[in-house]
Amino acid sequence: MITEEKLKILTEGAKYDVSCSSSGSSRKNKGGMGNGYVAGCCHSFTPDGRCISLLKILMSNHCIYSCRYCPNRADPDIPRAVATPEEICELVIDFYKRNYIEGLFLSSAVYRSPDYTMELLLRTVKMLRTQYNFHGYIHLKGIPRADMGMVRQAALYVDRMSYNIELPSERSLKLLAPQKDKESLLSPMRALTQEKAEYAQERKSSLFLPAGQTTQMIVGASPESDGQILRLTQSLYRNMGLKRVYYSSYVPVVHDSVLPDKPVGQLREHRLYQADWLLRFYGFTADEIAPEGENLPMDLDPKCAWALRNPQFFPVEINRAPLEALLRVPGIGAKSAYKITEARRFAALGFEDLGRMRVVLKRARHFITCKGKYYGAKNESAVRGLLAAPAERAEQLSLFSDRETALAALTGDL
Amino acid sequence: MIYFFDGSKEAFLTAFLEAFPDADAYLTCTQKQLSIGQESVFVQSDEVRAAKAERRLLQLDKNSLSDLSLLLRSGQTGHEQIAYRYLKKIATEGRPVRKMLADDDVVAAVECMNRVRWEIHRLHGFIRFMESASGALYAPFSPDNDVCDLLVPHFRARLPQFPFVLHDVSRKKAAIYDGKNAFVAPLERAEVVLSADEQGWQALWKRYYASVNIPSRERLKQMRGYMPVRYWKFLPEKISPSDG
Ligand code: SF4
Repeated sequence: MITEEKLKILTEGAKYDVSCSSSGSSRKNKGGMGNGYVAGCCHSFTPDGRCISLLKILMSNHCIYSCRYCPNRADPDIPRAVATPEEICELVIDFYKRNYIEGLFLSSAVYRSPDYTMELLLRTVKMLRTQYNFHGYIHLKGIPRADMGMVRQAALYVDRMSYNIELPSERSLKLLAPQKDKESLLSPMRALTQEKAEYAQERKSSLFLPAGQTTQMIVGASPESDGQILRLTQSLYRNMGLKRVYYSSYVPVVHDSVLPDKPVGQLREHRLYQADWLLRFYGFTADEIAPEGENLPMDLDPKCAWALRNPQFFPVEINRAPLEALLRVPGIGAKSAYKITEARRFAALGFEDLGRMRVVLKRARHFITCKGKYYGAKNESAVRGLLAAPAERAEQLSLFSDRETALAALTGDL
Repeated sequence: MIYFFDGSKEAFLTAFLEAFPDADAYLTCTQKQLSIGQESVFVQSDEVRAAKAERRLLQLDKNSLSDLSLLLRSGQTGHEQIAYRYLKKIATEGRPVRKMLADDDVVAAVECMNRVRWEIHRLHGFIRFMESASGALYAPFSPDNDVCDLLVPHFRARLPQFPFVLHDVSRKKAAIYDGKNAFVAPLERAEVVLSADEQGWQALWKRYYASVNIPSRERLKQMRGYMPVRYWKFLPEKISPSDG
């Protein structure tokens, strides 16, 4: 059994990683323990409002690199630890058995060398699958500059891999993470995407990273605008075929003259996730959401902001508008849009009907008509005044969405 | 007229037929105080009539009975009446109605079912097993809805080699998987002898929970929204050490 002290060190080193999602894999139980849960599953929530789905832990927090923002970087004198593959495997098995977790998110600092670290990670995931017979979810972090042969082999045992892009531009990467460069992060991503495509062609995609790849970048440690970040995000979705891009608002754990000493507001991260949502599920492009050098507005959500910039699109008649147009109405989410398209087949919908269907009308009312009638504010400045919500609570959109997808999966709604 | 029944599906369906012509029917299985002038009747379950109602409903909507089963499990007050109004709508419309989402009776039923489904999903995460000395797993919990047996397939699929007991302590019943078969049994209290390592793993889990939190980003309201306080009683990570 791993000691509490070691567990603490290796968890604290991993906790700033945002991704905890366990969705996207339907791995079956083939004797032994565990399986995948396509919709993902949260097992607990910490006081910071985040979901615990996976056991998020480092193999080691000893690092030969020195990324300026990272608490594990080489120089500082902090408690260090290395776990053994057996310790990690036992921890996963005993936590999983008690239903504390959905699986493992294993990451590591670069301990001794990229290859040495990758080998340890590979040994651990292989052991977990083959010796401990574990079929639950595994998300493995890729180590930049490690031997691709080992990376590919590891991909055969895990559900998801991620290389963190770390920062939204090459320039910032050079400044803040001098030992990593763009290629050391992008080329393994590309190679894995390619290999996955080959498996898919042979209809064996469940054998190779069934839940695909994700990445993460730190927002607010460097000067890039939201417009730039969203363009990068879009190209990662389109060209790299990533499943998710995560944003982690910068938390100053380290003091350094090149880094801001204040954390980034959660609202910025929240707005980016909203915009990311629009890219993935609502048919928006980065160009529509934010001009290249600009940030997302703080007082309006990005869909509202887009709607106010494009008044020619509105109002849309809810009884006739196609699904894509409904999805562009501020305040109408995928679920409401679906409900509307279903319910209007029975009878033309009035404004009160929408309320009864629990469609949130606070924002939507200014952008729709029901049976030709408009219920919103009279002019644009009035609308703007009514929509602005400066004190809006930053919700973790990813969780909200998990609930939606989970329910949809259960109800067959979407 | 108020129609009392014993909560079983058969009794519900019998009451359903009985109440059908009555425009002011109210179905319930909770004995409540009648107000003056209110009439009531206790409907005995009638297997033959129930089976007939069942066949007819299945003809009109092949999912109507699984909907009914979810609705009868709801812990919401008035769920029997919600089920009644929903099935009555299916019978009068003569077809599935679940997509008539602007209809009050349908909305009430759909939301009631979604709450049950949502709790099942939540419990897939919030169930906490402890390991007994024999290796069997034991999880006490107290769900809003009567769902313990509906959790079995999920855990059985992932822990096929472990016998387990999902103990609904409020309803005093348990869904039990013995390593081969699953069944439901009444269970008042369980005496569980814990395995030698159980406390150690619980301590590690608590340590993990404390370490993975980012204190500078405290958002307690959100945490409570996602994980309502009523579930905490059975989560080791939310039971402070001083409470034992
Ligand atoms: S490689 Fe950089 S980010 Fe990763 S642990 Fe080392 S210093 Fe930190």
